[in-house]
Formats: sequence, structure tokens, C-alpha cells
Amino acid sequence: MILTTQSLRKEVSSGEINLVILDDINFSLEEGKSLAITGPSGSGKSTLLGLLAGLDTSTSGDVYLDGVNLNNLNEEERAILRKDKVGFVFQSFELLPSLTALENVMLPSELKSEDDPKQLGEYFLERVGLIDRKNHYPNQLSGGEQQRVAIARAFACSAKILFADEPTGNLDPKNGKLISDLLFEVNSESDNALVIVTHDQELAELCDKKIELKLGKIVD
Amino acid sequence: MRSGYLTSMLLSLVLAVTIVSGISLFTDRLEKVLSSETKEFLGGDLKFESNEQNIKESLEELILKNSQTSEMAIFASVIFSDQEMQLSSIKAVDNSYPLIGELELQDSSGTYKTRNNPSPGTLWMDERLKNLLSLDYGDKIYLGDATFIFAATIVYEPDRGSSNFAFAPKTIMNLKDLDKTNIIQPGSRVEYNYLFTGSDEEINLIRDTLEKNKNQGDDIESLDEDSSSLGKTIERSENFFLLGGLIAVLLSACTIGISSQRFARRHISYVAILKTLGMNILQIRGLYLLLFFYTTLLTLVLGLSLGWILQSNFINLMDSYFPSELPPPSPYPLYITCLTVLICQFGFIYPHISKLLAISPMRVLKNDIGFNQNILPVFLMGLLAFLLLLYLYTGLINLSLIIFSGVVLFSVIGIGLIYLLLGNSKLGLGAKDSLNLAISELRRRKLSNSFQIFAFTVAIGLSLITFSASQNLLGSWQNSIPEDSPNNFAINITKEDKEAMKVFLSKENIDTNIFYPVANGQIIRKYDRENIIDRNFNITWISRLPEQNEIIEGEWFLNDIQNGLSISDEISERYNLQLNDEVIVQMEDGSIETYIQSIRAVNWESFSPNFFIIGHPSLFEDKSSTHITSFYIPKAKQKIAAELMREFRTVSVFSVEELIKQVRDIVDQVTKALNSILLLTCLSALFLAFAALQDGFDQRRHQAAILRTLGATSKFVKTSSLIEFSILGFLSGILGSVTAHTAVYFLETQVFETVPGFYPEIWIMGPILGMFIVSGLCLYLVNGLMKQSPKDLLNLQT
Repeated sequence: MILTTQSLRKEVSSGEINLVILDDINFSLEEGKSLAITGPSGSGKSTLLGLLAGLDTSTSGDVYLDGVNLNNLNEEERAILRKDKVGFVFQSFELLPSLTALENVMLPSELKSEDDPKQLGEYFLERVGLIDRKNHYPNQLSGGEQQRVAIARAFACSAKILFADEPTGNLDPKNGKLISDLLFEVNSESDNALVIVTHDQELAELCDKKIELKLGKIVD
Repeated sequence: MRSGYLTSMLLSLVLAVTIVSGISLFTDRLEKVLSSETKEFLGGDLKFESNEQNIKESLEELILKNSQTSEMAIFASVIFSDQEMQLSSIKAVDNSYPLIGELELQDSSGTYKTRNNPSPGTLWMDERLKNLLSLDYGDKIYLGDATFIFAATIVYEPDRGSSNFAFAPKTIMNLKDLDKTNIIQPGSRVEYNYLFTGSDEEINLIRDTLEKNKNQGDDIESLDEDSSSLGKTIERSENFFLLGGLIAVLLSACTIGISSQRFARRHISYVAILKTLGMNILQIRGLYLLLFFYTTLLTLVLGLSLGWILQSNFINLMDSYFPSELPPPSPYPLYITCLTVLICQFGFIYPHISKLLAISPMRVLKNDIGFNQNILPVFLMGLLAFLLLLYLYTGLINLSLIIFSGVVLFSVIGIGLIYLLLGNSKLGLGAKDSLNLAISELRRRKLSNSFQIFAFTVAIGLSLITFSASQNLLGSWQNSIPEDSPNNFAINITKEDKEAMKVFLSKENIDTNIFYPVANGQIIRKYDRENIIDRNFNITWISRLPEQNEIIEGEWFLNDIQNGLSISDEISERYNLQLNDEVIVQMEDGSIETYIQSIRAVNWESFSPNFFIIGHPSLFEDKSSTHITSFYIPKAKQKIAAELMREFRTVSVFSVEELIKQVRDIVDQVTKALNSILLLTCLSALFLAFAALQDGFDQRRHQAAILRTLGATSKFVKTSSLIEFSILGFLSGILGSVTAHTAVYFLETQVFETVPGFYPEIWIMGPILGMFIVSGLCLYLVNGLMKQSPKDLLNLQT
């Protein structure tokens, strides 16, 4: 299993009240498979994604990523795990505005001190069809193009698992379709597992597995 | 309106108001008390000194309604009691005496104050003379052909600076009694002093008349010519306070500018939403103006209150120096404070608000719509405000323009140099390791880094200027009065007495300094006799350059050439005497033809004999002279002065112990006030550095979150930021040192009028302080970032 959760719970305190965001989340995902997490706004989807990817810590319960219990790691160790095994695609793209498309894609390889980040960056930009825009800055690209750069960056990580938070949420249906197709197409060429948080039922249907959250609990 | 960086803007404004009001209130009150003190020291608004009595006629032609005159004759004469005799400086005063202030006297009934002159037939004397003549109140004293009654001891006289004979123990008598003494005969050395008080107009009228009618050797003195050690000390510290104030305000203004920019950036969406909801620009402008009206009121109330506390502390520090309660301040400090706030509001805040108001409501739909990229109007408004502040504080348009052009030129060159120095960035972020990332970031953010370095440079440079100005000021004061500086001067020492006196003093274990020969003489230009140098000089001749004198032009006396005169730079400037000018020195026993061999800078604040004119001994070999020397008498041996005067009847010894103590005290107190100003300036600098850093961190927050999400450890991000900001701080420190050294040179030569020095501490402190402060502040901000999880930083929704 690439990903397993056991009795995962997340609470946040708001003044004197403790809000339960996630409760008793149990599921697992095999290597190379895809999972869709769906649910209405505020149901805890992105919080769950944050916990699964080691961006945040749970109140109780465990997350095993590639056999490693994230709860046993501190922030620095989780960062190293993310560098080695995790890739991300965000709803709002989260590209660095001061870097060109190519430089954004090169970033994970640079962090891993790989030999030729440029070659790898160009390969993935080619793969998402944006090689001719490699020297453009994010503000010179459309939303769809920015998300394609983000996908190229996510795959340039050589990750074992890729997390996508509403990857088509900020795009029109046509561009959304393009991006989801691209995501699955590039993913099929690797052994990556894919976890997608989405409202888009069509996109969810493309995944091998689907869980639905409602008020912080799995309903399906 | 609760959100958005209003706090740092308000803090800077409050700090600026506190400093401006505190310093202006203090200097305003200080100036008032100094002016009345100086007035009292001089004895009036204007003083005319002459060896003749003939000026009276020309003054009688003037119709004066609002002024008063007092006449006095001052001379030296031997005075006798039944047992002793003593040379005294005698001041014969008319019924208008004293024109300003009060005398404090002591008789058998105790001490009392009076505004009268001595009654005819009576004399007042100082304590020293009373002791030397072994007098009791009511005893008879003999002066010339007249007999007087010793009526009182002088404890305090207001016009202490009134006489050139002030070195000898003092006697005050009624002018009406002068004739019956028969002391003043044709050719007697008498100085007639005429003191005037009155309205500015009439004083100017009197001055003009005196200027027209004055003879050679006559002198006019007014309030603005106080060159005493104390006057200079206070004047320089006042300059320093104003400089410190100006620097602190400029630093605060920069902080306000940066905070306003952040405030406006933060409010973009807010204004866009208000516009979308149908508010027009006028209404939104009204809303912000109201906000700024309230913040102005708040900062004024808070800042003025804190400023009042600040000046009260300064006043308390110097309390013991001032003879009476300080006068209340004039409305000027309030006016200058309000004007400063207005200039800051309209120069540094309003342009950003103006840009904010121009934001398109489309921002609601398109997140990437930001400010209009044209920053020229904001810059121009800021520069104009900067110039206005300079003018407001210096009051001199030329000086303001010089400083302004200097700063602008330096900024352009500085920012350009930093831009070039940082070099071009390579492909990629360079996130391989911390050092690579730091260097790549420095290059990548070249423009914003240049501005940031500039802000740090301003903060470090201005703090260093304040620091070195205070050190320089303190250093020059301390040098001028070392612990064992001479506290007694002896004059009128004849050639015969000179050696005997040396023996006398060495028996008492008192070290003597040089015995300077002194003679009175006039300087006449050899080829331009029309252009008269209208005064007499005390001339000395020695072969060694006295301490605290520095040759600024020409050469000091050499062995193998025909030597001439060395004159002070003041005399050179005042009478347009240049190097190698040929002159004639006219003395009682003949004249000498010679030339100006060198021009000296003299430290007049030192408590040593100083001379405008020094000649080479070979020129004056056959000239008659008396001698002057100075020496230190320890407190326990103070009686030696009186013994010395008894032993050597023609010699006069006068003590400057009180004056030294007064100067030392005031220096101590001023030091404390200087340190407070330094502290406030550094605080303003720290605010500026923090604001500049915080501004840059807004952009870095997002980057740090992405890097950490992609697997960079906190340590990696932290180390890279620390390296980057240490380099930024180091560069800023070097530039700050360059700025400070240039500015200190300018200040020393143009404002404080001291000899410029080299300060290695500026070069050491600048880079070190820059590196540690900037990286320390950076560490504080980075730690804040690292406490948040990448998820929070990326604002992921639930």
C-alpha cells in the first residue's frame, strides 16, 4: 500500500470551541492507483489532503505514506519525505511568479540536487505541450497553461504519489477537461499513485477509487 | 479598516512626532534661556567698547524712545587698604547699571540682590580682593586721591563679560566718583563701555550709528557673538539635537512611506469591493481621509504627550545649570510638529492612498489586477516632502538643496551600483543548496533588493552619523578640558618676575606651562594702507606650535628661512589677510616688517592661552613685553593664588575653575541628552529596517511555502534567508559607512566647524551592525514563517 490511514481525526480550536474537521478516516490506496476525494465545500477534503501529504499534522490517528507513519516524523523529516516521494498540483496553481515556466518545473529537481534539472524540466514542459512557452512568466500564461506548468512540475518530482487539490477548480469546462485528461495521461505513463480532491464528478469517475466526505466523515 | 499595517505606520508617526516635538520644545526653551543668559553676560543687547568718550555726541543726535543706555569706565589701578595694596580691575558704573539682571551682594547682614549701582563714596569688591586687602565691611579704602567705604562683597554680577580687565580682582564704584580720584589722565588706559537695551529697530539704528562713527580700536558686540566655551558647547549640542531630530524624522518618513505602500497593497481588494458595491471615489476618498484625520489626531496627541515627557527629561537633566525656571515654550514647536505630520501625511501616505483609489473594480474578478505601475508621482511627492522637511528643519534653502541633491545623487548612484554589483541571475532558482539559493535570490530580486539595501543603508548610515557626531562632540569637549587642564591664569608677569615665579611655583609642586611673552600691537598692510585692520592684538612669539593649534595653510616656523607671522584662520578671514601678504607690526617700541607665514586653526574652547597672532622670536627679540602663563592648582592648594599675587605685586592671577566646572557639568548633562537622541534615532532606524524587511517578506512568504511543500526543510529555507540577508546587511553596512563618513566630513567642516577626523569605528561598526541587525530581524521574521505549516501558508481551504 502506498497510502493508509487509521482512525484519522483533525480538530481545530476556534476560541473556546473545538471544531472537528475530520473524524475516523480509514482507507488505503495501492501503488499506482488513483483515488478521488469528493464532498461539499467545508467537508474537510483539503484538510485531509494536507494530512495525507504531510503538510499538516493530525490530532489523532495515523497516516502511512509508503510504509512510513507520518506521525512519527517531525516537520523537517516530513519535508524530506515530500521531496522524495510526493508531488502536488493545486487549484490556484501555486507557481512562483518570479520564475519562468521552465524554472518552475526545474524547481523540484533542483531541490533534489539532480544533475540536469533543465533537461528534465524541458522534457516535462514538452510533455504538457508548453515547450515553446518555457521562458514565459506565470502572469504571461493563461489559467489552463499555468495549471499545465504545475502538472509538469508535479511529475518532474519523480514522486511515488501525486496529490491534486481541485486541479480543475479554477478553469473553464473545456480547459478543465484538457487538464484532467493530461493528468491521467501523464500519470498512466508512470507508476505514480494519484489522489485528487475534486467537486467534479466526471473527474472523480476517472479514478480507480472514490471516497466521499460529509461533515468530516467518509460516507461512501 | 481595522486590518492592514496601520500599526507600523502609526508607530512611526508617533515616534516622529515624539522626537520632533520633544526636540523642538527643548531647543526652543533652551534658546530662550540662553539668549537671556547671553544678554545678561554681555550686559545688554549691544555693547560698544571704546578708548574714547567721544561716541556720546553722535548718539545724542538719535531720537530714541524705547531703549536704555548705560555707561561705564573700566580701568586697572592699585587700591589701598590701611594694611595692604593690590592691583584691581575697576568698573565705574552710572545710575542705569545694571541694565539687565541683578547683582548679588553680601555684607554683614547677609546676601541680598540689588538693581542699583553703589552709592557715591562706597565701593563693592569681590571676595578675593576683600581677602587680599584684609578688609571688613565699613573699612576705609583709598583709590587715587579719593577715600571710599567698603560696603559689600560682589557674589554675582550679571555683566561678567563686560571687561577686558576682568582678570584682576574686581571693584565696582559709582561713575560720579571717578573725577575725584584723579586717576584718569590723558593717555591713561581706560575702556569706556556703552551698553544698550531696547527694541530691535532702535538697536539696529544705534548699531548703524556706531558703525559709522567708530574709530580704530572701537568694538561693537552683540548677542549673536557669544564665543565663550559654554556658549559654543551649548550651541553645538543644540545643532546636534536638531541634526538628530532631522535624521530621526527622515528615518520615520521612510518607514511611513514603506508602511503606507503595504497598507495600500493590503487594501486593494477592499477598495475594489467598495467600488463594486457602488461607492464612488469621492466617498471612498472621504472614508480614507477620515481614517487619516483620526490617525493624525491620535498620533499628535500621543506624540506631543511623549514629546513633552522627553523634553521634561532633558530639562531635568540640565536643571542645575539653569539659574531660574526655564521660560515656557513658544508656539513654534507645536507649529513645526503639526507641519511635520502634515508633510508626512501628504508626502508619504497620501500618494499611496491616491493610487489605491484608482484601482479598477475589475480586481474583484481578476486577481492579478494590481496598482498602476507608474510610480513616478509617488516618488516625486516623496522627494518634495523630503525637501520640505529639510527646509523646515534647517531653515536654509541653500543647505536644504545641497543635502537634497547629495542624497538624491547618492541614491541614484548607490542603487545603480548595487544593481550592477549583484550581477545577473542564472537559469533556475539555484535551490541546490542554501548558499546557491541565497546568491540566486540576491540576483533574482535585484531591483527590490537594491531598494531594500538602500533602505538599510539609510538606516545604518544615519544612525552612524548620529553616533559619530555625538562621539565627535563629546571627544572634542573632553579633549578641550582634560582632568588637569590649567585652572588659573597669571598675566602681567614682568621679565624680572618670570624666573622667580617659576621657582615659587615649583616649590609648591605646581607644574607650569610655557610663559608666553605678550605685547600689544597693530597689524598694517604694507601695500594697502587704506584697508585698515581696526583692532589691536595681543601678540606672542614662540618657536613651538602651541597644542590645540593646527597649521591649515603655509608652514610653521622653520630654522633655515626668514620666518614671519602665524595668524589664526578667523583673522585671515575677517581681515582678508592671505598667506605671504607683507605686513608691518606696529608696536609701542617700534615696528617690524614681516609677512604671513602660516594660517592656523585654533581651538578657542581649550583652557590654555590662545593667540590670534604668533610671531617668530627672532623678530621680537628687542621688544618689551610681559608674560602670560597658565597652571593647574589643586583644590587643596587654592590659597597659593593669593600668595602668588602678594609675592608678585604686578602679577594678576585669575581662576577659571568655576567656568571649567560649569562646562564639565553641562557636558555631562548634554551627554545624557545626546544619548537619548541617539537611542531614539537608532529606534527609528530599526523601525525602518524592519519595515523594509517586512515588505520584502510578503513576497518570500509564498515562495517559502512552495519550497517547503516541495520538500525543502525549514533549516534549508532559514539558512538560505540568513545568508542572503547577512550579505544584504553587510553590503548595506559598507554603503552606510561610506554615507556616514561623507556626511560626517560635511557636518564637521560645515556645521560643527571642527577639524574633520577619520573614524575607523564607522567602518567597523557599519558592516558588522548591518550584518547582525538585518540578519537578526530576518531570523525573527523567518522563524515566524516556519512556525506555520506549509498548508496554512498556502491558504488551503478545508
